[in-house]
Amino acid sequence: MVDGGLNLHHLQFLAVGALWTVCLSLIAFVGGGIAGGAIALCRISPLKPLRWLTIAWIQIIQGTPLLVVLFVCYFGLSIMGLELPGLVAASIAMIIYVSAYLGEIWRGCIEAVPRTQWEAAECLALSRWQRMRLVVLPQALRIATPPTVGFMVQIVKNTSLASIVGFVELVRAGQLINNSTFQPFLVYLIIAAVYFAMCYPLSVWSRRLEQRLHFGQRAAAP
Amino acid sequence: MSIPRILRRTVLAAAAGALCLPAMADLADIKAAGKIRIGIDLSAPFYGYVDDKVQPAGSDVDAAKLLAQDLGVQLEIVNTTNSARIPNLLSNKADLIISSLSITPERQKAVDFSIPYGAIQAAVGAPKSLAIKGIDDLAGKTVAVTRGGPQDKILTERAPQAKVVRFDDEAASITAAASGQTDIVAITPPIIAAIAKRAPAREFEVKFVLQSYQLGVAMRKNQPELMNWVNGWIKTNLHNGKLGDIHLKHAGVPIPKDIIDGAN
Repeated sequence: MVDGGLNLHHLQFLAVGALWTVCLSLIAFVGGGIAGGAIALCRISPLKPLRWLTIAWIQIIQGTPLLVVLFVCYFGLSIMGLELPGLVAASIAMIIYVSAYLGEIWRGCIEAVPRTQWEAAECLALSRWQRMRLVVLPQALRIATPPTVGFMVQIVKNTSLASIVGFVELVRAGQLINNSTFQPFLVYLIIAAVYFAMCYPLSVWSRRLEQRLHFGQRAAAP
Repeated sequence: MSIPRILRRTVLAAAAGALCLPAMADLADIKAAGKIRIGIDLSAPFYGYVDDKVQPAGSDVDAAKLLAQDLGVQLEIVNTTNSARIPNLLSNKADLIISSLSITPERQKAVDFSIPYGAIQAAVGAPKSLAIKGIDDLAGKTVAVTRGGPQDKILTERAPQAKVVRFDDEAASITAAASGQTDIVAITPPIIAAIAKRAPAREFEVKFVLQSYQLGVAMRKNQPELMNWVNGWIKTNLHNGKLGDIHLKHAGVPIPKDIIDGAN
């Protein structure tokens, strides 16, 4: 046990933990975004099997706790002979989790583009891919931005679950220090402050985007 | 044979094969690798924690260092959480677990244990003014425990009248007791001493010991050479006093005599 209380080493340890939280969040967002984009497109594909497959994926992942996905990726795959370091296993689990949610969010955004836009594009004799790329996606992108940024806040906070696989991110770093200094109030207050500092700018950004978007829609209306 | 049955058999066979694989890694493999991976939970004060420079410390950490040194290999500490100790071992992420793991029949179904290298006591602590002598006095009172620990199990079974409040780790239980959230806490004696130090006005003391648990080094099943070597190492270091010194240094109390006498 440490009697001296919190010191510079501890703060440095927390800072490294915070850096890993940011790192894992970025991996989850970029990887999950790519996978989620593919899922959103498959989810509205004219091919029935593809649609059903992605619906099943989304339902399974959204209906499973992220903690269980993490456990399966780290311990389950390892028992089956696939050795993965903590960071890789945590990244895979986060990407799986994010892909299911972003896929469904973006599917909604694509379908929110007025039907008349699809029909108008069809009248111009654009192919399905051209319609999607030139007409629908640019509009869906604007609708999708606020909920996507809002979901990023969830990603940041959910990275804390990765501590279960021995990955020392912000919360695990705090737990270790807390069990050494026995000052939970101070330690968890610092952790909460750091999370807030990460998430609040995202929330503000999300709200701004939302306002700007509404303004744009109103201005564009005839 | 129907297709699902073939599938089930294949999956079962694959799972059994995968489970058998790690068991083949034995003492020779560890020596050949030149390092031993030992799983330790660094959020279990006195057994495993981080010091003021955030380096691993504690009696289990020192024991692991000594073991690696005596085996002549490098030590790699596998940072695990309390509930991930056995999964880390079974999924071959660690060769041994030395992490205040008490030897229980349930755990013995999954892993093999060495002979005891130490003990962990479950005790009840409370302020001096409170008259508590035995487990029956806990009826109707609020008792803080660390979730899933041995104290949790004993109290749930033997004091069904007590209101058990479960906290996630030792630090949370300590804070609950020191801040006055609860008056009674079931935890290890050195931690009761730490509470007394944190909140001197509350005059915390050990009321009675619930039970003493033997701690073992856990390894995957069927590793006879590793088991032999670890048992020999424990005997040697219990008798020459090295393990006792480590325990005394961190927990403030010596290893119970019956553990040392039992190692023959």
